[in-house]
Amino acid sequence: MAVYRRSSRTRYVLAVLVLAALTLVTIDARSNGTGLLSDIRGKVSDGFAPLQKGTHAVLQPIGNFLTGALDYGSLRHENQTLRNQIVALQQQSVQAAGEEAAAEQVLAEQHLPFVSGIPTVSVEIIDNGSSNFENSVTIDKGTTSGIAAGQPVVAAGGLVGSVLSVSAHTATVVLLTDPTFAAGVRLPGANIGTAQGVGRTDPMRVTIDTTTLAAPKVKVGEELVTSGLDFEKFPPNIPVGRIVAESISPGQPEPDITLAPLVDLGQLSYLQVMMWSPQ
Amino acid sequence: MSPHVLARLRIGLLLFVAILVQTSLGSDLRVAGVAPDLMVLVTICAGMAGGAEAGAWVGFWAGLAADMFLTSTPLGLSALTYCLVGAAIGALRAGVLQEHRALIPAAAFVGTAAAALLFVALGDVLGQSQLLDAGRSWLIRVALIEALWSTVLSIPVSIIYAWAARGSAGSERVGPPRGGMISTERLPAR
Repeated sequence: MAVYRRSSRTRYVLAVLVLAALTLVTIDARSNGTGLLSDIRGKVSDGFAPLQKGTHAVLQPIGNFLTGALDYGSLRHENQTLRNQIVALQQQSVQAAGEEAAAEQVLAEQHLPFVSGIPTVSVEIIDNGSSNFENSVTIDKGTTSGIAAGQPVVAAGGLVGSVLSVSAHTATVVLLTDPTFAAGVRLPGANIGTAQGVGRTDPMRVTIDTTTLAAPKVKVGEELVTSGLDFEKFPPNIPVGRIVAESISPGQPEPDITLAPLVDLGQLSYLQVMMWSPQ
Repeated sequence: MSPHVLARLRIGLLLFVAILVQTSLGSDLRVAGVAPDLMVLVTICAGMAGGAEAGAWVGFWAGLAADMFLTSTPLGLSALTYCLVGAAIGALRAGVLQEHRALIPAAAFVGTAAAALLFVALGDVLGQSQLLDAGRSWLIRVALIEALWSTVLSIPVSIIYAWAARGSAGSERVGPPRGGMISTERLPAR
């Protein structure tokens, strides 16, 4: 009898908890990022942020050590690649200085929006995102610093993603490798494409949007930038990625293009949020 | 304060520390892009130590804590998943699983892989089809690597959980931990 009662009570508890969870899911899914549950999430995130920041600072050396231990082989390879790049960059630096001065003059004359100086807010990452089903990071500033949903986020190298949700003192940035992320990119021959995230460890996929023009001829190693067309989510000329593969399937008029992000998303610490919204 | 209340407070503290470590250090432990999931591991340990009811309760709160730091899935999806996994592990522990030295690592492996698959399956049913966008190979990779992480971490986490849960109703039913492992006594058959 006692066993029966215990078993019955367990079923009752499980049923109540499942119903509670389903109720939460339903309410939150229907509120579309607004409402009481989103507020609670925002408040928890705000309240947790200082603690998270402190813990992150304390545990970062351990994390770096473990990351190094887990990725030793790839780090050695990366180190060698970086050394080669430094040599190449040193050779280019003198030439680049002259070209930069000339470019600045030309761009200033054209009054391009990207060069006209979009204000940015410097932010620090307090949570690198430990979920395996969403590619996002949490930053240490929110609406009180002027950050709003949809704003582009960049780092040294180029585009990182965009602000997905924001609370008073924190915000979540969806990374460009997330399957829900897409950005318009400029392709050779006045073509326009959409770079779409595929997954954390996979390169992005580019689909060609313009079909009236001749298919673009792209080369592996070429860098693509945001198109910045009307109603685009990003201003023009932000570097997005480098083409790592390009192939034309039989019967397909347009090439399949894959793009590796220029920013190393695994090594992010500080970011810049652009105070920009679509026109 | 009664031992039951103290045990609940310790389990609450354990969940708090677990989510803090998960959000601060979890990303640095990625192998092939996959991070461990401490919250599901604590849930499995709760099911193993305290039975189905404890597994369900701890799973619900562990999942809810995890949901607070997710943005693309609705609040409650992890709570639902972990609650079911905790209850299932607890029920299996009580009625089916035979005592064995490798029981906890094995349960951690199976439970974690099941939780990853169940999370995506329930999400898809509840309208979160974006969870499938990364593809089947990614899902299998996540399930396997998360499960391996849980297997590696299962013994220390089970010891910590057994310490936190001592004096609770569930731990009394299963029995105290012996030599760092969960008791060899089994719950009465249902």
